[in-house]
Amino acid sequence: MKLISTINALQNTKHLILFLAVLFSTIVHGNGIPKNNWPVKCPDHTHYEDLFYDFCDTCGCGSSGGSMGYGTGLNNNFFGLRYIGQEYRSRDGIFADSPWIQENFNTLQAWGNFALTKKTLLNIIVPYQFHNRSFPDNTSQEINGLGDISILGFYNVLPVTPDSIISITPEHYIQIGGGIKMPTGKYDKANNTGSVNPSFQVGNGSWDYIFAMNYGFTYRNWGISTLLNYNLKTKNPKGYQFGNQLNYGVNAFKTYYVSNSLALTPQLGLAGESYGTNKEFDMKVANSKGSVFLGKISLEATYNQYSLGLIGMLPMDQNLNNNKVELKNRVSVYLNMNL
Amino acid sequence: MKTFIYSLLALSTFLIFSCSSDDTDNSEELTGSGEVSLTFDNGFNGNDLVLGTANGANTNGESITVTRFNYIVSNFRLVNKDGVEYTFPKDQGYFIINQEEESDEVALPEIPAGEYTTLKFGVGVDQEKYLQGAEGQGDFLTLAEENNMMWSWQAGYKFLNFEGTFTSETVTESTDFKVHMGSHGSSLDNYKEVSLSLPMNVRVGDGVDSNIHLKIDASKILVGATTSIKLTEKSVIMVDEVKSPQIAVNTSQMFAVDHIHNGGGH
Repeated sequence: MKLISTINALQNTKHLILFLAVLFSTIVHGNGIPKNNWPVKCPDHTHYEDLFYDFCDTCGCGSSGGSMGYGTGLNNNFFGLRYIGQEYRSRDGIFADSPWIQENFNTLQAWGNFALTKKTLLNIIVPYQFHNRSFPDNTSQEINGLGDISILGFYNVLPVTPDSIISITPEHYIQIGGGIKMPTGKYDKANNTGSVNPSFQVGNGSWDYIFAMNYGFTYRNWGISTLLNYNLKTKNPKGYQFGNQLNYGVNAFKTYYVSNSLALTPQLGLAGESYGTNKEFDMKVANSKGSVFLGKISLEATYNQYSLGLIGMLPMDQNLNNNKVELKNRVSVYLNMNL
Repeated sequence: MKTFIYSLLALSTFLIFSCSSDDTDNSEELTGSGEVSLTFDNGFNGNDLVLGTANGANTNGESITVTRFNYIVSNFRLVNKDGVEYTFPKDQGYFIINQEEESDEVALPEIPAGEYTTLKFGVGVDQEKYLQGAEGQGDFLTLAEENNMMWSWQAGYKFLNFEGTFTSETVTESTDFKVHMGSHGSSLDNYKEVSLSLPMNVRVGDGVDSNIHLKIDASKILVGATTSIKLTEKSVIMVDEVKSPQIAVNTSQMFAVDHIHNGGGH
């Protein structure tokens, strides 16, 4: 709980700015990612050190949140830490009975939504990635480092009712925004040699453009939030271009006010992600597109200005990389300070 | 609040300009030459081919356990996107894929820089090479002997050595089978050519070594596109004027390109 006491100490905005600036610049300049030289063993493949093997981009959602969205859907003005854990498995080989590689994608994000004016807000996500995978021959590999930072601006088309006020009539909100995802994470071709999952990366290496929209309404203590965003991806310096990505989600929630300072908000939701075909040197990569549809359950506890959230997601339907990659589950935990 | 906004804007500007990529080795220009390697990944009807492990019954109702699967591939050619064909030097152009020895790799060094769209090669040893006589074979003769790919010099090379056991509806006891296919001197020519268009261009050049990953379906040797051969009728197929050419055609149909690994610049 060191974090909370640290945050408590930041009692005015000036300190907060300083803290954010230090935090972000520390992460950005702490870019001394150890180069991973772990030998990739792969019995069914012969791999060359510099070859890369590429399929769907899941690191895209690991770094930005994907269908988890750029915010909590509950608050417009916060900053905090979010952890996203994703479990995948991918085929180690080209055959129907090829063994599986177990993959764990872990992302720790410093994230925040900051109201700039009444109508505009800024969203920043700074991810730190630490992934690992284990091969059928019991060898394993780990990579870690700063991920791809994204910065988005949103415009409030319709006003937002702060979630602590219970409205009598349904209050609608619409936010439209856009931004960039920067190639701050390292894209290392060699990491792609052992797996059919190209997203075993801390970053995808390209400048990407994001278009996002949030819509929702609250009525008394009920609410619906929806999100839609599209990631337009460009070719990275290694000549590789991940397919564009569409994320969407819808959530229903109800807030229970336990006391003056404590509120609980359980949510149920559905989310989807759709990935376009990847390209290598402008040529289409076979078996690289895919989609996944997920069910989501979450709980957010708000105590004074702090929010603690837990999210679990399970795939209901998926076809990633011609079924050579499978998402098993996603979990997320966040701790935010509402501003 | 204004200070806060300006600080954030300054911060984001700083982030944008401080994080530009330093990876500049985007070698889209291909010059010189590089290596194209070929991986012959042996499978059986979509599954991995594991020696000594029974495979599911084929359409002839025969369940086959493969214990040996060796074949000769030769005369590699690559056609570039302008339609120009490059032929790998013939005197270095004969290779044996051997599942027991796990030799599944063919390396073709010094391929002229370019993007290639089609891979062509032969299965077996062509008459031109064979007629060069025993001395004209160089080291390949020894290599073929070591890999059980020779009958005798007069009888010639075995292009395919496919052995194991099988069971069927009528053959309930596990029974040995042997399929040895070759050209039988110069009287019967079973050398076949294969042409595979690549799912993605293979790029090669200085510092750009690439790989073509082939998926082999050994089940096609017996169950081809047009001819189906029953081991129940004949379990040892060697010098057979009818079945041996059918095996040769079927064998030439077992190759497919699964994917390309394009190498990058250094």
